[in-house]
Amino acid sequence: MITSIARKEFAEIVRDGRFKWTAAIMVLLLLTAMMAGYQKYTTAVRIQQAAQAGTNEQWLDQGDKNPHSAAHYGNYAFKPAGPLSYFDNGISNYTGTAVFMEAHKQNFAIGRPASDQSAIARFGDLSGASILQLLLPLLIIFLGFTAFSGERESGTLRQVMSMGVTNRQLLWGKALGIGTAVLIVVVPCILIGALALSLAESIDHADSMGTRLVTMSIAYLMYAGIFLFLTLAVSALTRHARTTLMILVGFWAFTGFLMPKAASEMSKFMEPTPAFGKWMADMRAHQRRGFDGVPPFVKFAKYTKEVFKEYGVDNVADLPMYFVAVRLQKLEEYDYPVFDQHYGMIRDAYAAQRKVQDRFGLFAPTLPLRSISMALSGTDLIQHVKFMSDAETYRRNMVVKMNDYLAKAAVDLNATSSSSNYMRADEEVFAIVPPFEFEPPELAAMIAEHRNNFILLALWLAAVIGLAVVAANRISLERS
Amino acid sequence: MLEAKQLKKTFGDYDALKGLDLKVNPGDIYCLLGANGAGKTTTINLFLNFITPTAGTAEVCGIDVTRESLETKKLLAYIPEQVMLYGNLTALENLRYFAQLGGHDYSEAEYKAFLDRCGLQSGSYTQRVNQFSKGMRQKVGVAIALAKQAKALLLDEPTSGLDPKASNEFSALLIQLKNDDASILMATHDLFRAKETGTRIGIMREGRMMQELGTEDVSHADIERIYLEHMHGDAGKFAA
Repeated sequence: MITSIARKEFAEIVRDGRFKWTAAIMVLLLLTAMMAGYQKYTTAVRIQQAAQAGTNEQWLDQGDKNPHSAAHYGNYAFKPAGPLSYFDNGISNYTGTAVFMEAHKQNFAIGRPASDQSAIARFGDLSGASILQLLLPLLIIFLGFTAFSGERESGTLRQVMSMGVTNRQLLWGKALGIGTAVLIVVVPCILIGALALSLAESIDHADSMGTRLVTMSIAYLMYAGIFLFLTLAVSALTRHARTTLMILVGFWAFTGFLMPKAASEMSKFMEPTPAFGKWMADMRAHQRRGFDGVPPFVKFAKYTKEVFKEYGVDNVADLPMYFVAVRLQKLEEYDYPVFDQHYGMIRDAYAAQRKVQDRFGLFAPTLPLRSISMALSGTDLIQHVKFMSDAETYRRNMVVKMNDYLAKAAVDLNATSSSSNYMRADEEVFAIVPPFEFEPPELAAMIAEHRNNFILLALWLAAVIGLAVVAANRISLERS
Repeated sequence: MLEAKQLKKTFGDYDALKGLDLKVNPGDIYCLLGANGAGKTTTINLFLNFITPTAGTAEVCGIDVTRESLETKKLLAYIPEQVMLYGNLTALENLRYFAQLGGHDYSEAEYKAFLDRCGLQSGSYTQRVNQFSKGMRQKVGVAIALAKQAKALLLDEPTSGLDPKASNEFSALLIQLKNDDASILMATHDLFRAKETGTRIGIMREGRMMQELGTEDVSHADIERIYLEHMHGDAGKFAA
């Protein structure tokens, strides 16, 4: 019975000229978006790899100089494109693509693609994700809004209900028929996208790609299911197809456009980030007065005494390491907790904002899906924070290695005057700093981090299925 | 068999049906006559359990329609004034779909035989029904009833708007179904058709059964006179 209803529903839909046009436009948009995304992705991968290789080369070829100067010369970390960024660009346009890593300073990422875009980019990228998040629900609504209310208006519902069909059979049959019609539009495009990706060169993290694709597909199927059953529920509850359409399109605009913006604004209000100028001034002041209120130079004077005591010497010249390098490293290390606290404050504020936005997913299913999609694509805040964290770890390691080398190699300069206490290191020394490599967060950890979003999607799906069942059971021909 | 016992239906303050008693036996074509608002369609809707009675019972083959709604619907076929079909499906596809909904499935040849029996031109079987005339749709509606092997038929002004030829063809189909021992309840305004096709006539007014007649006992002229007098509220002397 259910398959008969589904077959009829499917046949009716695919024969409708409006479906053919809508499906064609959807396929065209989806393929165009994914092709553009794929092209952008492969270009980004190529540029990132070339840039990272170039900067690594520059580090080695920077010319003979003092190792600490080499640490000041610095290095760049270029963020690799997320493994599914061709599908969902997430917040990549706004987070920056590179970090300059140098001694004494922790920097923010630079090179934000959004800064090179025109004002129209404010409307968002045309990506596979944005199309599926915004247009797929619209397709489902257009295919399904007449499911019950339209049949009620045309009179076929009376005919059908006179045949001895249960309301639930009708509901599941229609869900299956409409769902199949939607899938024949979307699935081939996704498969083409996945195929293109599998053929692409230089794909990192390919081991988790299958899991990512499957998890992503499940999330989007759940999202499509939410709109499918919501459409059927509203269609069953309303008497006129026009009313059904108005309610559903209203909800679509609410969840797809209004709520993301509102959630973003609310999260900024509830978890504000400090103004950049004030934040920077506060951090600099904190560096000067010392993390725990003891200025770095006071701390270092104490440390010097401890070192002299440890080595039983009274003079720098008698120390077994180049003490200028030790001082540089200690001053660097005194800043670590300050950086951790202040950058951490920004990071925590953004993370809190993200959590607030996720909570709004209780009212709009687009929000949890968007978060999951960005996470699995490797284009969300968590991925960026990990990149920044890796870059900072690398920076500290780079400075430690250079200062340590200087401390050991230039021990004989302890006794010389500052103007001449200079040693030069070459490529061989610089090579002790390995090239920067980004380790993206583990997929399992990402999924665990978004557990609540998966739960929200599942709750939404369960709720709308429940609503659809109740609505179908309440279908009455009393006044039709 | 269709039977209504003291069937009442109230919509708000309006009594649409005021204790209707009615029995349609197998092989009967019972024509319900009456002006708009007399309660004919309400009666049919109650048998279909599209609406629930305020009091009394409606039974199909002895089964209460409100208690065993699905079971009674399996025994019924419903042909409204305008048979509503799916425009993007062909006649064959519509027939197959509705037959399957009714719990039956047949071979392609059998479906065609149903349509053929209803007088639909064979060239129309695979045409989408959005190109069909009302008469053609009614024929598909009867084919659905045939395919459903319904024990009882509920027809709500099925010949309204049909041209005389189509109307005659439709009546001939009903007689075929009657001869198959189906119980047929037909609401109509067509007094001539009621006399020609029906076996019994019930005249309703304001939710009450005013008079029942056997069609063989009265002439066309009698039916018209009795009907009009009931409509004008002066028909006591004609009551059997």
